Amino acid sequence: MKRLTAVLLATVILFCTAGCAHRTEQPARFRVVTSFYPLYIMALNITDGVSGVQVDNMAGQQTGCLHDYQLQSQDMKNIEQADVFVINGAGMESFMNKVTSQLPKLRVINSSDGIPLLKDQTGEANPHIWVSITNAIRQVTNIAEGLAEADPANAAAYRKNAEEYVAKLSILRKKMHEELSGISNRDIITFHEAFPYFAEEFGLNIVKVVNREPDSQPSARELAQTIKLVRGSGIKTIFAEPQYPKSAANIIAKESGAAVYSLDPAVTGENRKDAYLTAMENNLTVLKQALK
Amino acid sequence: MSAIYSIIDLLLPFEWTEFAYMKNALLAILLITPLFGLVGVMIVNNKMSFFSDALGHSALTGIAIGVLMGIDNYLISMMGFSLLFALCISAVMNSETSSSDTIIGVFSSTGLALGIVLLSASGGFAKYSGYLIGDILTVQPEEIRMLALILVAVVLLWGFFFNKLMLVSMNTDLAASKGIRIRMVEKFFVILVAVIVTVSIKWVGVLIINSLLVLPAAAARNLAKSMRSYHFIAIGISVFSGVSGLIISYYAGTAAGGTIVLVAAVIFFLTYFLNQVRAKA
Repeated sequence: MKRLTAVLLATVILFCTAGCAHRTEQPARFRVVTSFYPLYIMALNITDGVSGVQVDNMAGQQTGCLHDYQLQSQDMKNIEQADVFVINGAGMESFMNKVTSQLPKLRVINSSDGIPLLKDQTGEANPHIWVSITNAIRQVTNIAEGLAEADPANAAAYRKNAEEYVAKLSILRKKMHEELSGISNRDIITFHEAFPYFAEEFGLNIVKVVNREPDSQPSARELAQTIKLVRGSGIKTIFAEPQYPKSAANIIAKESGAAVYSLDPAVTGENRKDAYLTAMENNLTVLKQALK
Repeated sequence: MSAIYSIIDLLLPFEWTEFAYMKNALLAILLITPLFGLVGVMIVNNKMSFFSDALGHSALTGIAIGVLMGIDNYLISMMGFSLLFALCISAVMNSETSSSDTIIGVFSSTGLALGIVLLSASGGFAKYSGYLIGDILTVQPEEIRMLALILVAVVLLWGFFFNKLMLVSMNTDLAASKGIRIRMVEKFFVILVAVIVTVSIKWVGVLIINSLLVLPAAAARNLAKSMRSYHFIAIGISVFSGVSGLIISYYAGTAAGGTIVLVAAVIFFLTYFLNQVRAKA
């Protein structure tokens, strides 16, 4: 009996101290949670230098797109404590509907508001809107407006930050348009449906998308069809993504004589404010080299 | 390698052998399936089909450990973990505290759960879901060479150890009286299964690797009249389902591994009914 009491006491003390240790942290005045990496980078830029604002990313920085994302209890805690939840929209977080509907007080900012969506053959909207810089600019503006509304005290700061970031994005977009205007070959093959918005923006023609579902492997027949397509069309380049294994891309390249390049949809990376800009700069370099 | 390719081109001038990845897949299947047929015979004999399943599941934990330790080649971490796992299972089984299917069930679910927990800790489980289904199409020439070496080694070991293995699986007392070190023979077999399962998991996949081990042998058991014919029929069924499954998957646009298993399952039910008819006659 004595031993049991001792164990119980020890547990209680342990829990107490753990709880107390947590509580000594300075609580953030205004908590923003983003659903995944691209939005996190946008939110970092918009809230830069605003005191008392804490930005958290629900999915880890290496998660990538939220295909098949499994919600963890830590994520739920994060969202419950948030003042604002920033989502991509366009179906990326469709699994979150049940969660957000349970939290009626949670303010959700849908960054895809007003962005015209592309649909795939099945009629489903493609959620990879941020890969186009024009759309990313729109998303930044949407998020800034949403934050300004939710935290009016700092509205001016959010808008100013957003303006600065949008200016950087616009310069990059202009540069990319200029440097990509001269390329002669505009036919590309990509893996996973991440690039339609990007291709539309820069006048690239996606001839085929291999592996619409990113975490499965293409079947033997799909590989054969793609190889024949590449051989017949004179396409010289296949674009894989750094987030997924390149094995299928390598097979197609080897059999058809095309080269594999890596195009980054900026969906994973370092938690730095300029991560999106850097990723797009790299994409520009890759495209110029691949499509000259 | 190119000599083998041209032989394939000569013998099989079909559309599906046109591409090198299909040639590689064909070669890999011609090496893996006899291996599975051979080992499957003993697995079915020893009532260990659940054991190989557990080993397949443990591969997921092996991958997770590889990811956490930053090892690029998951084969090393998978092999290490599955050997440890296999020896643990056999040690716990030998202690005879619970029935073997319970023990294997415990280990199997532990291996799977640990793999899921570790891999999903970063929220990125989807990245490794390829291992669940496997992908025979990405097999590389150097991996085919490795498979060939393993097949030769297993066949040699089989010739050397088969009688002992057989005796142990039939009657341990008899085997002990003949001076066979039972524990050692059992461990040898457990390690062999662990190595084979781990090496091929990347191409066959966690979910279906066990079907490929068990189905051909189970089907052969319905037909075989002697130990020798049991072996040959099992290997024959295994190779046939492998090759025909690959071809069907090419033309039907389906996943190769699953198609192969389905072919093997159809053969199993055919032999089952054949056996029933024969028994009645």
